[in-house]
Amino acid sequence: MTSALLWIFLPATLGLALLFFRRAGNFSIAAALGLTVFLTFAAWQLPIDTVLQLGPFSIEISPTLNLFGRAFTLAEADRPLLAFIYLMQSLWVLGAALARPRPLFVPISLLAVGLFVAALSVEPFLYAALIIAVVALIFIPLLVPPGKPAGRGVLRFLIFQLFAVPFILFTGWMLTGVEASPGNFNLVLRAGVLLALGFTFLMALFPFHSWVPMMAEETHPYFFGFLIFFLPTIAALFLLSFLDRYAWLRDSDFVYQLLLLAGTLAVLFGGLSAAGQRNLGRIYAYAAMAGVGTNLQALGLGGIDGIQVFFALLLPQALAMWLLVVPLAVFWGENKQSLRLKPVQQSMMSHPLFSAVMLVAIFSLAGLPSLASFPAHLSLWRGIAAFSPWALLASLLGALGLISVGLRLLFTWLAAYEVKSKGSAQEDEAGKINKASLDLTNLYSWAFCILGIGGLLGYGLLPRLFLSAVPALSARFPQLFP
Amino acid sequence: MSGLFGILLVLLIAATSIAILVSRDWRWLIAGLGLQYLWAFLLIIPAWPLELAAVKIVTGWMAASILGLSRLSLAVEQPEMGPRLPTSAAFQTLAAGLVILVVMGSAPRLADWATAISLNQAWGGLILIGMGMLQLGLRASPFRTMLGLLTLFSGFEILYAAVEASTLVAGLLALLNLGIALVGSYLLIGPGIEARE
Repeated sequence: MTSALLWIFLPATLGLALLFFRRAGNFSIAAALGLTVFLTFAAWQLPIDTVLQLGPFSIEISPTLNLFGRAFTLAEADRPLLAFIYLMQSLWVLGAALARPRPLFVPISLLAVGLFVAALSVEPFLYAALIIAVVALIFIPLLVPPGKPAGRGVLRFLIFQLFAVPFILFTGWMLTGVEASPGNFNLVLRAGVLLALGFTFLMALFPFHSWVPMMAEETHPYFFGFLIFFLPTIAALFLLSFLDRYAWLRDSDFVYQLLLLAGTLAVLFGGLSAAGQRNLGRIYAYAAMAGVGTNLQALGLGGIDGIQVFFALLLPQALAMWLLVVPLAVFWGENKQSLRLKPVQQSMMSHPLFSAVMLVAIFSLAGLPSLASFPAHLSLWRGIAAFSPWALLASLLGALGLISVGLRLLFTWLAAYEVKSKGSAQEDEAGKINKASLDLTNLYSWAFCILGIGGLLGYGLLPRLFLSAVPALSARFPQLFP
Repeated sequence: MSGLFGILLVLLIAATSIAILVSRDWRWLIAGLGLQYLWAFLLIIPAWPLELAAVKIVTGWMAASILGLSRLSLAVEQPEMGPRLPTSAAFQTLAAGLVILVVMGSAPRLADWATAISLNQAWGGLILIGMGMLQLGLRASPFRTMLGLLTLFSGFEILYAAVEASTLVAGLLALLNLGIALVGSYLLIGPGIEARE
């Protein structure tokens, strides 16, 4: 058995099979959850390229699968990353039980994760751009439900994601030339510009970010959340592969300065824009942009520190983005597919547990002390300060923007109770109370709340426990993390 | 691919892509797309083995057929979204002319710099990329967006075929082209489908 068969083709095949059972409700979720939990466990525990003796049977997971003359390689060093990806996918599948997106989500997300892993394992790794573009295509039926025309944000998303392909593929071809003659400044410059453009499209960085807030308003927040978490994360890992593979990129100070600049702009723009929004979907979109910016800043620190901060940020960010989107999906369903703050206010009152999780997740994304992202943010800010005080100031402003969003949501939530208490004399009290405690009686909501807030607080208060995984995650990139 | 035949191919590519840009009848658009893939295939032949190059034309024609059949099933065309640039034929021809002027200037430099790409391939590829981008910029309907993306990618494939001849890449690019056409088909007929989920 090859690792590609286990972590690429198995989930993709189940995803395809579940397309036929998508109306079977919880069966689809249970099957997908079972597989992703198993794959997480397998990535965590089963060594690759080592013979395992199970009673009379012996199993060996070989690292390479050859297909059409190209290799898909998932080696021992990839296991921590695989465990992370499938752990996140398990959470997204689990969240579907609460968020109740369209049934197509579970099969397509499984297929997408299989393809994402394929993108990270294909050799030459440049072909990842093509595989990521295929993921963008298969997500369109989710983003545009039957009976509705495609919004402008979705079309722009498609165009920009596909635009990235030619840039990255051409860069790959040019980079072989650069390796042969690293002194050729013109060639290096052209390759660098093409690479930067490709990743700007792929990661929705300024000025090609316009589809992000547009799509956040047009589509179901759960689908949007999945895409805006996985796409830039996989793109960032893809970018790390470039840095790891090419010495002239890895050793260039200019590349790190560019990453730091792009990241800082995204953090500043994302944080401040989020603060000015009146739609929860758009707030989520800008918060996600700020998150992508933070990741780029971490990479911009360069060296061993940079990659460690990047992975230290990844897990808390992933958790916070998932925790933030589940309540949004519930509110979206209750408010006629709108996430405007005013109508959502009532839902926030009806779902105090979801609202609390949402607030804690936003504060965690901002890097508030004692929450999950804080330890990594602290290292990041310390590193940025050594490069440029201006970049640090911009980062703190971005974080302040996200904190102000959290405070505003808190006031909106509390104001809903005030409005209710004023109007309660004239209204039917019994009906209101029942609605007001909608999720307090739901066991799943309690579990979600405890898992969410407990996870974010636990990570923030006991960071060493979680950060011990960082060196193992970084080991996938041996040149960057020797 | 040199001499008169190569230049003729480039002229045909330019003419077909302008026709796709200006035409309003979807039948002509699909026919133009099919022809465009034929010219692109002929430009790819010198760089790739015939059996591998055939993938391009087969995929292209399949993509054109998918879009055509989907458009055929629609009673009326969906309106384009929001205010756009002028759509008169004169304006579009002028814009296309500008693109061709830019390509005339840049293609020789590209062919000079990337010796694997012939001058005709550089012209043909860059014209299609430029026209595809023009389509994407001028029109906002799903049908036009997909035509623009397919045009852009066929231009890119002409250039990329000259520098990379991998079966996996050919397969993935074919998958991408078919994917674009299928997504286009879904976006065309999707609004008419009754939601059942």
